[in-house]
Amino acid sequence: MGKQIQWETSLTTTKAKAKKGKKLILMDFYNNL
Amino acid sequence: MGCQQLAAVTYPDPNVCFSVENNFIPLQIDFNKNKALVRRYAVKWTPTIIILDSDGEEHHRFVGYLPPEDFIAQIVLGKGKVEFDLDRFEQAMQCFQEILVRFPKADAAPEAQYYLGVSKYKASHDPKELKLGLEFLQRDYPSSEWTKKAQVYSLIP
Repeated sequence: MGKQIQWETSLTTTKAKAKKGKKLILMDFYNNL
Repeated sequence: MGCQQLAAVTYPDPNVCFSVENNFIPLQIDFNKNKALVRRYAVKWTPTIIILDSDGEEHHRFVGYLPPEDFIAQIVLGKGKVEFDLDRFEQAMQCFQEILVRFPKADAAPEAQYYLGVSKYKASHDPKELKLGLEFLQRDYPSSEWTKKAQVYSLIP
């Protein structure tokens, strides 16, 4: 099994991590239905 | 269905995983559960992928399933557009050039060619870069809407 994308679920946490790591944010709106 | 295909085909792809993890903090939002973010970003259909800067400002989006290569081309395009919007034209050019080299047949490629020409112009203030960009678009993507948009640059003396 290869590496998997580790998804965040909170925009606030994601923004903090993006600032700290000098990265951008990829936001995926999904629907399980 | 598009979301399930992304999860089954695109996200497990090693090149997609590498591109996402190296450049982005990935965030998944359940369309049916997080109505505040759905409203804030005016999302009407899934999957919707939005590229944001670290302040949460949107710079690029695409809607619907894409296979791995087209997906990577779109997220590199999004990265380039963030750099472009922040006036970091050298970094933007690197992103647009990467798309043209790695994914010349992707649907994102003509837009990358358009923005490459514009970025070169913004960096140099030399209008001939816009005309050159148009020439590449006419040669490589003659039926693209981006070639149509750049047609006006033929008027530059």
